[in-house]
Amino acid sequence: MASGRERILRRRIKSVQSTKKITRAMELIAASRIVRAQQAIAAARPYVTQMRKVVADLGHDPEGQRHPLFRQPEETRRAAIVAITADRGLAGAYNSSVIRTTERLIREYESTGVDVMLVTTGKKAQNYFRYRGRAAESFLGFSERPTFANAREVAAVVMRAFEQGEVDTVNLVYTRFLSLGSQQVTTRQLIPLLREDIESSTEADSAEDSGGTIVYEFEPDPEEIVEKLLPSWVEAELLVALLEGAASEQAARQRAMKAATDNADDLITRLTRVMNRARQDAITTEIMEIVGGAEALRAAGRADEAPLISQTGTAA
Amino acid sequence: MTTLADNPSTQTKNGRVVAIAGPVVDVEFPPDSLPEINHAVEMEIELDGTTSTVVAEVAMQIGEGRVRCVCMKATDGLRRGTTVRNTGRGITVPVGDAVLGHVFNVLGEPLDTDHIDGIEDHWEIHRPSPAFDTLEPKAQVFETGLKVIDLLAPYVQGGKIGLFGGAGVGKTVLIQEMIRRVADQHGGVSVFAGVGERTREGTDMWLEMQESGVIAKTALVYGQMDEPPGVRLRVGLSAVTMAEYFRDVKNQDVLLFVDNIFRFIQAGSEVSTLLGRMPSAVGYQPTLADEMGVLQERITSTRGHSITSLQAVYVPADDYTDPAPFTTFTHLDASTNLSRDIFALGIFPAVDPLDSSSNILAPEIVGDRHYAVARRVQEILQRYRELQDIIAILGLDELSEEDRVTVSRARKVQRFLSQPMYMAEVFTNIPGIYMPVSETVDSFEALVSGELDEVPEQAFLNVGGVDSVLEKARQLQGE
Repeated sequence: MASGRERILRRRIKSVQSTKKITRAMELIAASRIVRAQQAIAAARPYVTQMRKVVADLGHDPEGQRHPLFRQPEETRRAAIVAITADRGLAGAYNSSVIRTTERLIREYESTGVDVMLVTTGKKAQNYFRYRGRAAESFLGFSERPTFANAREVAAVVMRAFEQGEVDTVNLVYTRFLSLGSQQVTTRQLIPLLREDIESSTEADSAEDSGGTIVYEFEPDPEEIVEKLLPSWVEAELLVALLEGAASEQAARQRAMKAATDNADDLITRLTRVMNRARQDAITTEIMEIVGGAEALRAAGRADEAPLISQTGTAA
Repeated sequence: MTTLADNPSTQTKNGRVVAIAGPVVDVEFPPDSLPEINHAVEMEIELDGTTSTVVAEVAMQIGEGRVRCVCMKATDGLRRGTTVRNTGRGITVPVGDAVLGHVFNVLGEPLDTDHIDGIEDHWEIHRPSPAFDTLEPKAQVFETGLKVIDLLAPYVQGGKIGLFGGAGVGKTVLIQEMIRRVADQHGGVSVFAGVGERTREGTDMWLEMQESGVIAKTALVYGQMDEPPGVRLRVGLSAVTMAEYFRDVKNQDVLLFVDNIFRFIQAGSEVSTLLGRMPSAVGYQPTLADEMGVLQERITSTRGHSITSLQAVYVPADDYTDPAPFTTFTHLDASTNLSRDIFALGIFPAVDPLDSSSNILAPEIVGDRHYAVARRVQEILQRYRELQDIIAILGLDELSEEDRVTVSRARKVQRFLSQPMYMAEVFTNIPGIYMPVSETVDSFEALVSGELDEVPEQAFLNVGGVDSVLEKARQLQGE
């Protein structure tokens, strides 16, 4: 009778087991990809560091600050938000925390009457915002291995919007990769370039070579250099954000999949226990049936010869 | 049926006891006056200086002038050779309006008073079930005012309804709740059969009925745990007989409550082996389906007059495939399954919304809108159940947008299916709520269509309709 229950449990255990195989494999793959993602960050670092330094130097030049990307708007009427998420799920809270932060930012802007233009990378953000009927410019297909070309594509969209005056500010929401065990969702302003931002980033970088700020003579004039350089700076910043996002994605995935594998193990243990009990129940019942049946047959045989004997013991 | 009862003692001769096995006694009769099966025989027992009469019922004829009987009283003190009178008829119980307001045992003897005046008739408890052509299937909803039941497993007017549940999940509370809910406003009379349950509960109910006044149109028949199996096996029939009289002679609509039908099967199983039958699956009697059929087939509606019955069914070890609940299940028009998992969530009544079912949950009967809402509710809950493993392994974050909405609605539906009950008022201090079916349907429609997506799920627990949900949500926010 209870064998039906046992069969259902067995099927469920099997399904959990195959889920576990998948999560285990994904955990291992994610672990191996983190290394590559970290290397990619390391490889991009010298370029970005140098870029920041140069921009910082230019930023000190009053001529350079006339570039539109430095232009501080008097009031913000329209803001762009670039949200960096993954194409695939199964990465724990990685996607949802970026989306949540973005959502909060959107609400903040809209409550003060600011229109929001949304740019997303990764399928997850696209799905989320499309489901809620919010239009967004989306980029897909490179969340795990972003390249400079991808960064340039995204940068082009926001810079064009900014230059044409469609937006007054551009914010970046991404996950910073601090270490294997720690990633943090970060929101920061990408355009217009903030003076403090440049200085603080150069201070951190220049601490290493402690060269101080060198005063350059610019040839051709600073304005022209800024013209060329600043877009590249935005692109580089975006590239770093994409790369850190990719590394964070893998780290989050590894952690999530490890937790999932553990959960699956727990579930299997629990279900197996229930199943064993169901099986034992069934066996016990069957033994009882057989013993009871045999006993009844024997009693029937006896009853043919002798009358029923009192079981109460009170019959004299 | 009653031909012999007209002149019982003239044609029958006495017999004597030849063997005693607990509640089962073998009696030898002269070959020409062997009692028929299901006829009652009587014998005197002398124990500690007092003499009492034991009534037994003939269960089988075993040849050589012997019959095997099941006693309706303990057989302590009975001796071999004791004289046995053949009454020439089955056990009879009083019927008619006079029985209302009283408590009886299986033999129809009043337990709350010494004598009842004005009894119209006595009927034998063994009667044929209504003929094929007199049956009148009805398909009309029997409103209970409980959201989960009215929406997902509506009861049938004149139908048989089962309340299934393992030990301690609230069967008896729910059946008492039903008496409170439906017996009060029910036009006809009610009969309650207490089969093998706690005597204390029987007393509580009797006192409560006196308080509420329902007792005036209710007859109670008790054969509780302390009684021998013969009593528990027959007390159901005694109650059904009283109900049948109201239906057939008085032309009334009758409510029949049975708590607990499993004890009837259990009693049958207790005597089955003593009667010399070989045990069948899981140790039950081989005649399980037949015994159940004989009882259940009598509880029907005929020619415009209905018996609506509510039966509590104990489910041993929470195993619904056990032969006892399974055999009962096949006779029912609607079943309400109480579930331990839902009980553990603190949702009362702990009705399982997916396992409970009803024959009349069809668009032709409950209406298209009710049907659509009920199906939608079930779909959402079903989906939630399917997703539970995924949530357990991967977490809520991995669900798709649609599924996340489904999960949040499903959790609200789960809580919304709870409802304050009259019987629980003493425990929770929340007064019971009666929800008309139409309001139930409206409320759930609003919920499944997403109108209440913004309301936190705690606001759905133990409330009535949409208005009270919003009210509670405001309260929660205020805190």
